[in-house]
Amino acid sequence: MMRLAAVVLVAVVAGIPLEILAAPPVTWLAGAALVIGSVGALALSMPLVTAGASLALIAYTLALTAARPVADPIASVVFGGTLVLLLALVHFAGRIDGALVGPGVIAGQLRRWLGIVALGAVAAGGLAAGGAVLGPILVGASLPVVVVAAALGAVLTVAGVIALVTAPSA
Amino acid sequence: MSWHPSALNVSFLTLVGWALFLAVLTGRADLVIVAVPLVVAVMVGRRRTAPPTLRIDHDVSAERLFEDQRATVTLTLRADEPVPLVELLEPLPSRVRLERGRHHAFFSLRAGEEVRWELALHCVGRQRLQLGGPHLRFWGPLGLSLAEARYRAPQTVAVYPELVPLRHLPRPMRTQTFVGNYVSPVQGEGIEPGDIRPFAPGDHVRHVNWRATLRLGTLHVTQHHRERNADVVLLLDTLSDVGPSGATVVDVAARAAATLAAAYLARKDRVGLIEYGGQLRWVKPGSGRAQFQRLLDTLLDASVVFTYVTRDVDLIPPRILPPQALVVALSPLLDARFVRAATDLAARRFDLVVLAVSPVAPARAAVPRGRVADLAARLWTLERRAQLDELRRSGLTIVDWDGVGPLDVALAALRQRRQRSVLAG
Repeated sequence: MMRLAAVVLVAVVAGIPLEILAAPPVTWLAGAALVIGSVGALALSMPLVTAGASLALIAYTLALTAARPVADPIASVVFGGTLVLLLALVHFAGRIDGALVGPGVIAGQLRRWLGIVALGAVAAGGLAAGGAVLGPILVGASLPVVVVAAALGAVLTVAGVIALVTAPSA
Repeated sequence: MSWHPSALNVSFLTLVGWALFLAVLTGRADLVIVAVPLVVAVMVGRRRTAPPTLRIDHDVSAERLFEDQRATVTLTLRADEPVPLVELLEPLPSRVRLERGRHHAFFSLRAGEEVRWELALHCVGRQRLQLGGPHLRFWGPLGLSLAEARYRAPQTVAVYPELVPLRHLPRPMRTQTFVGNYVSPVQGEGIEPGDIRPFAPGDHVRHVNWRATLRLGTLHVTQHHRERNADVVLLLDTLSDVGPSGATVVDVAARAAATLAAAYLARKDRVGLIEYGGQLRWVKPGSGRAQFQRLLDTLLDASVVFTYVTRDVDLIPPRILPPQALVVALSPLLDARFVRAATDLAARRFDLVVLAVSPVAPARAAVPRGRVADLAARLWTLERRAQLDELRRSGLTIVDWDGVGPLDVALAALRQRRQRSVLAG
């Protein structure tokens, strides 16, 4: 049952790039993401699922770059939220495989995951709104400045997350 | 106990890295938004508070078992505060099979909630089963952080060799002074009628044989044979061993020794045990339930301790190996030192019966099947048969037992032979 749910999530993740652009390079990448992700979901293998999700992300990027659609925050949030659910589900299914699962464990986990995804969606919405406000202000700025600022932000985000994860507990 | 990140963080950070890298590369804000739920998940998944505490009761149904019996392990978990997800793993020792339930479980507990978790273990071979208590792992949200602990509740379960019912026991040639189940040749108080003789002053009236008295015209009394017990010493060979773990020839011999001990003790005999191996251990002959427990405990620890030293049976004091005792030697007869010791005992007129446990079946269980293995086993069986015949010719009483068939069948043939030899003697 959990494997099936994970395969469905892999299909959603691989389907979103095709929704944007169903052209051959994107189709190939999305197909590879579907195959690798599904195998990972069925085998409950985190490396394979991560590889499949990464391929889906690359396919999504390729579709965005090729089709150049208007930014769609809802699709991006759905994509990101599905990735969170997929990773959490496969990891959890791998842990409980062959074990006794007490009453209310799965329902409780599902509640917590959906709560975290909802929080992520709210944060993404806030970021999109902030971007909409900052957008007109940065219209005059040249592209290199924006790219450098974005890169700095990305590096700081990753560094912050790594520092957060590796910091000793209180 | 403290929280630390799980391997799942690598997957999340990989995707965050990809999303942000591609966003910078392509200049698409959509990819930054994709990364946001992942970053939020990693941040929320990080735990700062101390891991929750659980109160655990770890209970094992029995401290003593026989082979093939079941032990039930019951764990009761009580949470003083909410526990979102706790993983428990009860490590299973070797030679234990899970009969019912799982030894790995996940629970989610509310504050004050109690959960009972049961698993039944099937104990395959004789052993001292060590159950140390479960490993605990508390999981944070999304499985991104975890805290591990070990609940230590060391409990030992003694799994004794299996007992099988025996009807045909080797009958001791000589009896002792205490009351038992064997009819002694000595006349005295008893219920087994013996000779008839003329009445003498001091005889009880209830011993008068009225039929003989009427026929012969004078008072005659019936004498009775005394019912006496015997001393039985089990001599277990632990100089050599073959076979897979839990089903070695020493395990088979220990099973036979426990069965013989139970059967002789039920007949009110005094039973002792000598472990003749790298270390010479013994249990002085005795009777009763406590003695049976002592014998089982000694058999439980019987194992091969390698040594080049040859131990003479002279080292064994007479109170451990009484001259009047029936000695039942249990051995695969693989080590020449044990064969010499048995021959020595027989030469000293000990009432000796050698139960030769065949090592062929345990050895075959330890090697893969094949034509060469089959041929080797057949040759070994023939060679062993020749060895036993030679030992029989040298005066040893040998019962050949393959260790697979019923012990009672093997002993039945001996009983008939010994009865014939007693009558002939």
